[in-house]
Amino acid sequence: MTPPSRRAYALEQKARGRKVAAVFPARYPAELLWARDVCPVEVWDPPAGTQAAQAHLQANVCSVVHRALSLWLSGGTGAADFLLFSHACDSLQNLSTLVPDLLGEGRPCLFFYPPKGRRDDLAEGYLERQLEALSERLDEAAGRPREGALERAVAWGEARTRALNDLYDARAGGRLAASNGEFYAAVRACEYLWPEEAVLRLDAFRTERSGPSASGIPLVFSGVLPQPAGLLPRLDDLGVRIAEDDFIACGRRFVRGSLPHSGEPLPTVARRFLALPPCSTAGSPVPDRLDFLTRLAGRSSARGVVFLALKFCEPELFDVPTLAEGLRSRGIPCLVLEVEMGGDVPAQTLTRLEAFLESLP
Amino acid sequence: MSALARLRYRLVKDALLPAALALKRGGKKSRPPDPLFGPPLKSTSDLRRIMARHYALASHAKGAMPVAWVTSGAPVELLRAFGFYTVYPENHSALCGARKLGPEISAEAEARGYSQDLCSYARVDLGHAFSGKTPVGSLPAPDLLFCANNICQTVLYWFKALSREYGIPLVLLDTPYLHGGRDEASAFAYVEDQLRRAVTDLERFARKDFDEARFLQVLESSRRAARLWGGVLETLRRRPAPMTIFDAFVHLMPIVSLRGLPVCERYYEGLLAELRDRAERGVAAVPGERHRLLWDNIAIWFALGPLARLFAEHGAVPVVATYTHAWAETAHQMDLQNPFAALARTYGGIFLNRDLAHRRAFLEALSREYAVDGAVLHSARSCKPYSIGQYDLKQSLRETPGIPSVVLEADMTDHRVWSEAQARTRLEAFFEALEGRGIGGSSDQGSA
Ligand code: SF4
Ligand code: SF4
Repeated sequence: MTPPSRRAYALEQKARGRKVAAVFPARYPAELLWARDVCPVEVWDPPAGTQAAQAHLQANVCSVVHRALSLWLSGGTGAADFLLFSHACDSLQNLSTLVPDLLGEGRPCLFFYPPKGRRDDLAEGYLERQLEALSERLDEAAGRPREGALERAVAWGEARTRALNDLYDARAGGRLAASNGEFYAAVRACEYLWPEEAVLRLDAFRTERSGPSASGIPLVFSGVLPQPAGLLPRLDDLGVRIAEDDFIACGRRFVRGSLPHSGEPLPTVARRFLALPPCSTAGSPVPDRLDFLTRLAGRSSARGVVFLALKFCEPELFDVPTLAEGLRSRGIPCLVLEVEMGGDVPAQTLTRLEAFLESLP
Repeated sequence: MSALARLRYRLVKDALLPAALALKRGGKKSRPPDPLFGPPLKSTSDLRRIMARHYALASHAKGAMPVAWVTSGAPVELLRAFGFYTVYPENHSALCGARKLGPEISAEAEARGYSQDLCSYARVDLGHAFSGKTPVGSLPAPDLLFCANNICQTVLYWFKALSREYGIPLVLLDTPYLHGGRDEASAFAYVEDQLRRAVTDLERFARKDFDEARFLQVLESSRRAARLWGGVLETLRRRPAPMTIFDAFVHLMPIVSLRGLPVCERYYEGLLAELRDRAERGVAAVPGERHRLLWDNIAIWFALGPLARLFAEHGAVPVVATYTHAWAETAHQMDLQNPFAALARTYGGIFLNRDLAHRRAFLEALSREYAVDGAVLHSARSCKPYSIGQYDLKQSLRETPGIPSVVLEADMTDHRVWSEAQARTRLEAFFEALEGRGIGGSSDQGSA
């Protein structure tokens, strides 16, 4: 079943009495919003174009930020009761202050700073304080959670993580008969679906599509998100099966394997947050990312790794050269493609991809 | 660390270098006076000597003492207490930019897959790390990296790459970005905890105990230097200004690279005395000063000279910059009674780590204090944190305090993205507009 559009879904959620938050990602504690009956609708690659933002942003700012601002300027976040910015990089950081401080957004704009480059006890302590601070802001914007609501939200988070793990396991194990496009339509619906509904849909999709994967070349893809949009059908045509991914928007946003627990809900959220896969936006050390990619390639029997390096994305562009070199030294072939958001895949990109496929042992 | 290397270092520091620099000074011919500018600052020759000494010593530091590469916003005071020799890659990249070597050195990083869109300071530094290319002879490879992400997240990505390249540890100070004032206490407590943890890490690394008395001395020296630097900048409130911000960009080097060391304080004592004297005597950096300007963002290092001339031709004098103020604005927070908390506030609260509302207020305050008529906003192509938001800050400056501004698209070190002709056209139009407003007449009195 095709998931509804984000906008239609946001309006439907409002009609059901829920509040809606426009979330400018990458990583944030969705459980705190669910507990207050707020549906987070994430803004990654809206079809808003980039034109409206050009008067406010330099041309060399990434298209995620350009599109997000264009969407906001054109009223596309109008259904949201408030905005949440999670700190991912310098560009998103500046967007998070540009919108309320210089462009006059009147709705509450909440900000969340996840610790960078560390996962130790100090980072965990600070993260817990950040979660408390965000809870206070959310109480102001959406009201306090009802008795037991946070515990329920934590359980939904766990169920969604399990469903994603099951789906990713099925794909990595060659037990999912779905095209690349169908897979990402199902996974990326988690960017806005209410968690209970997301779990139902993910499980239904996995059950319906249970069966041997189409034969083809299994590869791991890494990057911000599966863009340009025309890439996924092209990969199907070329006989490439994305068998695992390290996309910021997808495979890097759920804990692989079992989830850490703590007696209380907030510390549990904090621990799970810190247990997320290593990510450039979290300042994770390159060796951790390298190990993660190697693991993904191993568990999915991938024959190589393709980096979709989104133009102007600093966190990714800084890590890619060392990751590529590290993978090659471990005998894993890899290809770095500079990409932009948009429709079709440039001919030159396709040619390089085809040449890479031919070169695979 | 070897005793021989230490001995060699001392010999170079105490005997060979002073002699070599004295010889060089003797041989230096002074340039003929330029009618566009006032008399050159005498302190500039001291600056050259100090920085030449710093880089010359650096190449002998390896093995004599632990060498750390440090980001410009990191609390270097901790490292000084452990006796590290510190090198500032940002400063080195600026130097490469000023010598127009930015593209050549960063090409070495680009050849290894680093995109030409990334911060050019980082590209130049990585290019140097991969190739050894530098205009300063040689830089010692680091034993340790020390990074604070208070100026940007980019430094973290960059220093991670260095850590992998050299196979050495990275000590990170994670300084949460401050939105409004609500979560400051929690952010500063986190930074303070990390500083204490860094002491333990450094003790382990340097194999010596933390010397708190030395640390306090360094902190005191750092505070004095920051105050002196603040005093230096304040002399530019005087009309005519005794130096320009283009000069200040160059004279900034010691406070970035050498703060916490006696040489830094001594240097700024001399510079401040010279500037006060010039201000007293009405010596102008640009005779016929007509327009006083604010500069936002880092310098365009490869074009400092041509820009200084172009501004001077129009009687336009940049008298204040957000960038140069960054090393003066927080000096008052260095409380020696509570040094770790003070360091956390000082370094965690710099203006680049605060939201654009704070930046707007900062720009407004500087505009008033320095009685400026307009602003030049350098949109540095490869520095996002400093540049995103400038188009709207321009608008906001027009509303309060009601000054016009121009956005100059350029870069810190990469002159491949620079068109001098375009910049000239843009700036000349801006200067003409300023003339049209009839502001900046000699009857306006600034005060020092
Ligand atoms: S992480 Fe990359 S893609 Fe995402 S907002 Fe930042 S620069 Fe853009
Ligand atoms: S991105 Fe900007 S602030 Fe960061 S290191 Fe580069 S020039 Fe400096």
